[in-house]
Amino acid sequence: MTMKELEKKLRRQDYHQAKLYLFCNFISLMLITAYSIMMMAPTVLEVLPEGGDSRKQMVAIFVLAAVGCVAFTVYATALFFRKKSRQVGILMALGASKRQLAPMLYREVLVLGFASSVCGMAAGFPFVVLIWNGFRLLIVDSKEMVLNIRMECLGIPFVFLVLVMVLACVTAKRYLKRTDILDTIQEEHKNEPIKELGKWCGPAGIVILLAGAVIAYYAPEVYMKLTYSYGGAWLNLLYIPVFIGLYMMLLHTVVYGWHFKKRVSYKNLVSRSMMKFQGKQTVNNLLVSTVLLAGACFAVFYVPSMASGNFLNVRNRTYDYLYDYRADQKVPGREETENLAAEYGVSLKDWHEVPYISLGMDGMAYKEDGNKFYYEYEELETEGNFFSEEDFRELTGLSVTVEPGTYLAVSDNGDSIYSRQLTTDSTLFTNMVTEKTLEVRFADYVCCDFLAGGTGYYILNDADYKKIAEGITGEWSGRMTIFNADGKDDYRFAERLFHTLVSSFDKSCEIPYYYDRVQKISDNKKGDTYWGDMDMAGVNFEEPDSSAFRTLWRYMPKFRIMDKNDFICTYGVFLMVFIFIFLICITAACVICYTRCQTIAVNNRYVFDDLKKLGAPPAFLKQEIKRQCCTVIRTPAIIGILMMTLLYMMIMYGNDGKITVSEILALGICGVVILLIILLLYAVYCLTVKALAKELEIEG
Amino acid sequence: MLQVKNLYKSYETTKTRYPVLKGISFQVEPGEFVAVMGSSGSGKSTLLNCISCYIPYEKGNILLGEQDLGVLDKEGLAKVRNEKLGFVFQDFMLLDGLSVKENILIPRIIRESADQQAQDYADHLMELFGIIHVRDKYPAEISGGERQRTAVARSLINDPLLILADEPTGNLDSKSSRAVIEAFEKAKAEMNSTILMVTHDSFSASFCDRVILLRDGVIYKQLDRIGSQSSFQGYLLDTIKEMSEAESERDIR
Repeated sequence: MTMKELEKKLRRQDYHQAKLYLFCNFISLMLITAYSIMMMAPTVLEVLPEGGDSRKQMVAIFVLAAVGCVAFTVYATALFFRKKSRQVGILMALGASKRQLAPMLYREVLVLGFASSVCGMAAGFPFVVLIWNGFRLLIVDSKEMVLNIRMECLGIPFVFLVLVMVLACVTAKRYLKRTDILDTIQEEHKNEPIKELGKWCGPAGIVILLAGAVIAYYAPEVYMKLTYSYGGAWLNLLYIPVFIGLYMMLLHTVVYGWHFKKRVSYKNLVSRSMMKFQGKQTVNNLLVSTVLLAGACFAVFYVPSMASGNFLNVRNRTYDYLYDYRADQKVPGREETENLAAEYGVSLKDWHEVPYISLGMDGMAYKEDGNKFYYEYEELETEGNFFSEEDFRELTGLSVTVEPGTYLAVSDNGDSIYSRQLTTDSTLFTNMVTEKTLEVRFADYVCCDFLAGGTGYYILNDADYKKIAEGITGEWSGRMTIFNADGKDDYRFAERLFHTLVSSFDKSCEIPYYYDRVQKISDNKKGDTYWGDMDMAGVNFEEPDSSAFRTLWRYMPKFRIMDKNDFICTYGVFLMVFIFIFLICITAACVICYTRCQTIAVNNRYVFDDLKKLGAPPAFLKQEIKRQCCTVIRTPAIIGILMMTLLYMMIMYGNDGKITVSEILALGICGVVILLIILLLYAVYCLTVKALAKELEIEG
Repeated sequence: MLQVKNLYKSYETTKTRYPVLKGISFQVEPGEFVAVMGSSGSGKSTLLNCISCYIPYEKGNILLGEQDLGVLDKEGLAKVRNEKLGFVFQDFMLLDGLSVKENILIPRIIRESADQQAQDYADHLMELFGIIHVRDKYPAEISGGERQRTAVARSLINDPLLILADEPTGNLDSKSSRAVIEAFEKAKAEMNSTILMVTHDSFSASFCDRVILLRDGVIYKQLDRIGSQSSFQGYLLDTIKEMSEAESERDIR
């Protein structure tokens, strides 16, 4: 027998020992590859615009997931070497030199690491295809939800693969460098106690975490207000106290536990001491799984908060159909629309159609100069759409009085977030055709839910309206149409009307809602290029059913039946991306928890053996396993879920200074989602306990 | 065969330095079976680990044959461990994935000389120690005594100058312990093996030619075996008792 044959024989046994290592590498590479494929899929990149919040959230959670994957790969590598160390130590003790052992060890970890990583990378493809197509099959399928895989997405998994290999080699080198042979042999039973900070660290951790989160959340806004500049990425460093606080809380949990009642001195003694003496890695693991679970909750909460807002918005609309169009567009009139409706057996009622004009409004224009920003007065600052008092009354049935020389801004009843987007500091309106001006001042808000949001509507005194509207052309005026279905509505009619409307607009109306024609004219007059002309992705008349078109088009009609039916389809890619992120994070968190429980069991096998020898019954031993697993799984679950729920509530409150009805509904749905997550984690807990009992040969 | 001269070794924590061996000197002659005894913390395992080249020592010399172990580099020490020393550990230290025969051959495999002659020699050793019937079994499938005899056979496969045994009967019942001691006696009788054994067990030590008693890192007494095994065990027990009483008196003072 030669050294090579010996290596081959030992490797066969190692494959059994390396199961967890192979599993972790496989899972981490699979998750990273799947996430990369999804994140870099052209469909996702198109729907989640660059620089947008959704894209940032997707990338941020990817970073968290990647950190999590790195963490459990590190632990799995360490665990593999712990198991391997006895073998290496015995060979060293019997006279094997490092020169002899090095190639053997490197070959083994490289083969294992490479094989598991490549398999993981390969599995990432069917995994993402399965989820993507499963989503299309079970939840929603739209034309744009095509999965295109770009080979560039393999860059990140490849870097991760290299990291896995380097990590394995570095750990192998560290083991070979050891001089104490006995230490190497006994490695499996070595403890890693954590430095205790004292019982104050838990409560202090909670305070630091909460204070850190609030400070970091509001810091960019405060910084902007104080310095009139963007703080940049460094402001994210303010989140560091959140992690420090979290670490302190977890440290307290592992070392002391939380006792609200009088402590029973011997309860949990064995399990706590086991966990305490593996403290360093346990706390690190808990930290990573908490962050991942928080990421999972963040992603999955996105869905109900989006859906509930849309649900209530659609349900509470006063009219079934609402749309506006520029007066110079050849849009079907009342008769044509009624005829179209008749084709589907739908009759229409409550038809109202009123004109409006688009004026230039003066104000303090937002300007950027590098990282700094400032406000500068401009006569043509933004575009606003204006009704006369009479037309507004005709359209809404609301009787309003506007004093001459003043204007009202149309907002909604509940979500005053829209109010902040309206221009209320304007003092001069300009007819963009005749360049005639009108001096005004803001008087008040008027509530009308179905007109709130979008480009913003205002009301002028009838005489002022008439004066300023004089000479205006179809390009700067429009018509607002609203009506109801008399009796049962038909989705096919709504869809047909939508497509008919889209096809009746010319190219000059192929703009997103944020495209400001007044600002463009103002910029062009100064010789500047309007920013909207540089970045105008998303709206394309060729793709009226794409989510980009339906969410961004300036003249997107609001048809209740269509918005209700097409919601999932319109936001399909968003929903899928965030559900996908949830799946990745929750999988990674579950694997970390499982790995950690396995590690604790493997490292404490001798404790369980000793307890058996001391006569501990299987029920007692199983109870100890349950306590370990419970702490490892329950702690991140409680903290992660709680953190995200609080963050969501903070964001909801921060939006408009109150929690609205749709937000309460969203929180309710999030509650149901939390329950489902808890059930899933409970299943993982049960499986882990069962696996550990088997591993430790505990019956019953 | 083995000369230990004025050997010093201490362990350090961040704050304190604990001297364990305080100038130990002794020698073991070829073909001699020597036991080292002493209470816990007396330094016997540390002494064995220094001779085994597992841990470095601060002062003194260890000469194995003509070779001073203190001047060797890591490669040189590995070579000594492989070719000149044989090891028997308390918890056997067999590799679970290898059969009994393969475990015995490991030192030869490391030496790259596991040829037919080595295999025949392994068979001979297994025959000698009564483990030939388990030659193809794995460690998990055989008894503790068989495992330890496998370890004894492994320690002899390279015809080492010295066999170092650390509590070889510590994990065994009396019957298995007896079988292991018999294996050492056979190795000594048939192969003229030199054995240095650390043990707590006065029964096992009573089969040795000489017993070195350690107390607080120094040699308390060296006892040569005279007469039968049982009378030597009696003599050993009396001396150990005397040493313990002296220790107690000193502790009280």
